[in-house]
Amino acid sequence: MPFVSQIKRQTDYNLYSSTTPIVIDNGASNFRIGIVGDHDTTLLKYFDCSRSGPRSAFDSNVVYQFEIMEYILDFGFDRLGANGSELPKFSSEQIDHPVLITECILNPVQSRSKMAELLFETYGVPSVAFGVDAAFSYKYNQQNGICDKDGLAICPGFTTTHVIPFIDGEPVYKGCSRTNIGGYHVTDYLKQLLSLKYPHHMARLTWEKVEDLKMEHCYIATDYASEARLFQANSIYIIFWTKEAEEKTRCWQLPWVPPPVEEPPSEEEIARKAAIKERQGQRLREMAEAKRSTRINELENQLRGLEFLLQQLEQVEESEIPYFLKDTGYVSRQEIETALAKATQSLRKVKGEPKGEQAEVEEKTDEKYPLVNIPDNMLTQDQLREKRRQMFLKTTSDGRQRAKQKRVEEDLERERKNQLDEQKRLENPELYLGEMRTKYKELCEKVEQRKRLKTNGNHSNGNGMSGGVGRGERLNAAQRERMRLLTTAAFDRGKGEDNFGAKDEDWQLYKLMSKDNDDDDEGPDEDETELARVSSRLQEIDPTFVPKPEPGPSQSAADMPRSRPLTKEDFQILLGVERFRCPEILFHPNLVGIDQAGLDEMAGVSMRRLSSKDQVLEERLTNSILMTGGSCLYPGLSERLEAGIRMIRPCGSPINVVRALDPVLDAWRGASLYAAAVQFPQQTFSRMDYFEKGEDWLRGYQFQYTL
Amino acid sequence: MEAELINAELVLPTHFSFKRIQIYEKYPKGQPRGRWKHLKQILQAENYQNCPPDEPNYVNIESPPSMHPPLRICDITGFEAPYHDPRTNLRYANTDVFKLVRSLPNEHVQRYLALRNAAVTLK
Repeated sequence: MPFVSQIKRQTDYNLYSSTTPIVIDNGASNFRIGIVGDHDTTLLKYFDCSRSGPRSAFDSNVVYQFEIMEYILDFGFDRLGANGSELPKFSSEQIDHPVLITECILNPVQSRSKMAELLFETYGVPSVAFGVDAAFSYKYNQQNGICDKDGLAICPGFTTTHVIPFIDGEPVYKGCSRTNIGGYHVTDYLKQLLSLKYPHHMARLTWEKVEDLKMEHCYIATDYASEARLFQANSIYIIFWTKEAEEKTRCWQLPWVPPPVEEPPSEEEIARKAAIKERQGQRLREMAEAKRSTRINELENQLRGLEFLLQQLEQVEESEIPYFLKDTGYVSRQEIETALAKATQSLRKVKGEPKGEQAEVEEKTDEKYPLVNIPDNMLTQDQLREKRRQMFLKTTSDGRQRAKQKRVEEDLERERKNQLDEQKRLENPELYLGEMRTKYKELCEKVEQRKRLKTNGNHSNGNGMSGGVGRGERLNAAQRERMRLLTTAAFDRGKGEDNFGAKDEDWQLYKLMSKDNDDDDEGPDEDETELARVSSRLQEIDPTFVPKPEPGPSQSAADMPRSRPLTKEDFQILLGVERFRCPEILFHPNLVGIDQAGLDEMAGVSMRRLSSKDQVLEERLTNSILMTGGSCLYPGLSERLEAGIRMIRPCGSPINVVRALDPVLDAWRGASLYAAAVQFPQQTFSRMDYFEKGEDWLRGYQFQYTL
Repeated sequence: MEAELINAELVLPTHFSFKRIQIYEKYPKGQPRGRWKHLKQILQAENYQNCPPDEPNYVNIESPPSMHPPLRICDITGFEAPYHDPRTNLRYANTDVFKLVRSLPNEHVQRYLALRNAAVTLK
């Protein structure tokens, strides 16, 4: 999304004289610029949106990307209406006002001098002053009676959080502490959590949107653990919240249009469709019939021709047969006879008559195998060979017969079972159904158990997607046993005396080791067939029954919900625990892997660093704790901060936490107060000063906050 | 085209009358821009080790590691997490979450770990 400026260019720039300073509050997420005397600043929000993700000129509140900084300043001065060429009486092509710009506490001198260089060289600013934003905010609130001259300023910003103690109205730098966590981390955490929770809506969770969500919904829990317990009665997928949790859950409905409801087809439609189907079926049947009749015709013709040929052959001399048959394509009489038999058979098949011949053939087994019952010593060599062949044929056909017999018996058995079942069902349908269901369940479990044993149980992780599937875990139980045997056999060698093979059992080992004792490819076992039977039976009698899906590789668990039509709920983004989990990182930076003290602890750190040993002073400090900066807008922050600081302070010490009048704009307002003061020109330094005094002087430069 | 965009205030103009050095003069097109220093390099150049240790500077005002007991929360739900899965290294609150943890693809596990800076990084 391109950044479109909502801020109009100001027109009154030329009305101000060149001595009125320009005040810039240079924050990492907001850039505020204004001329002193303006009642309201021009609030600019900037992000370089030309690349993916927000890019800023800041790293932990220190400006380091001066090219981006220059774009921002360009834009700021442009919006202010700066225009060098219109008034020729000023030396044109420059900004002819002193500038007061904010920086972070104890800014590295390199960043400070680069900033001064940029303002002097590029914009032609006559003089510059640097000050700390949090200090300006504190002083502004002090003037308005919000806080005292001794106190703590706690400033959670965009990328860092500072705590600055003030004694007699001056910031004490040696008591400062900084943790590199801020609003950026909160938004990023929320964005990551939501996109992990709703991977389908990742595209909708843009940085800007998540920032809006954060500002609208996030709050600080008074006690994280107890707040989380409200939500814990349920898991994240079953939405039965406790009452309080339900009230605290916010929902963001993404745009969603219900799919058009399909109307059931009318009577006429059904009738029409049935008619069309019927007609098509009729046509197909006719076609099949026509095909059959032509085939019958063809075969009959062939038969007739062959019979005629045979008749003719009767009258032909034996020696002239080859010559006679030359044109017909047959070679001998036998060939014609076999062709005839074949044709008759296929004709019968086409006409749909039963194959009577097969049965007849089998009747006269004895005639077919005449040599079987004659003893060997009565036969010649050729006859013996013939006998062996006949024996073989006989056994195979016998076997076939037996299998057929068995099949018939099985059919009978099944029929009997079904009848029994039916009888039971008729006697007590309810009981029967229940029994069937339990049976189905048991069988299901049994079969699954077997499968799990084979594949070693890790069902969900079996597809190699989980983190730590090691070598051993990919094998099934039998394969693992084999591996174990192989390895122990390898390690046994050379240990003590070798008496392998003394006993016969030793050699069994090789049988176990050999590869083909895998019993993987045994057919479906009894349980499975029984399961199939029961489930088909259940399907017949129970309309509500749905057989469990076969957990095959093609049908993973992830595919299941996709088949369901999407509902309104699928396009909702629920914010429950996330509402207070994300800002919690200000108090527990270790949640996002930053090993530093949180907000409440920082106050203690600051006071420890002051090492004043003055109980009264410390009490004065904690009695006036000011929160300022963009990230202190969360509801509940002051209560939590107070509770946290109370824990690290001696019992009974006064603690008073207040929020700044306007945490976002107070720094600019405070700075403009200083810029308007009479002493301001002494606080600035000019280009000449900058070049003459050098970097060491700039390092020692400090703004005086006492007027 | 460009003029229209500038008039519609969609892009910044390249020339400002109030500037002494324009941006196209400072960073000519097609030429490599001078490398800016990262914060780490800036801090190194400051030579803070030469300063007296009791003098506050940017580096030594940083907060120390927390002395409070660390808050351990479930990586997925945010509840208190008494358990820890040795296979994925994720913390979890109860059995339901554990089931979910085990069914997560490795990529998601790593993203959850990256949230608290505990992901496996290959160098």
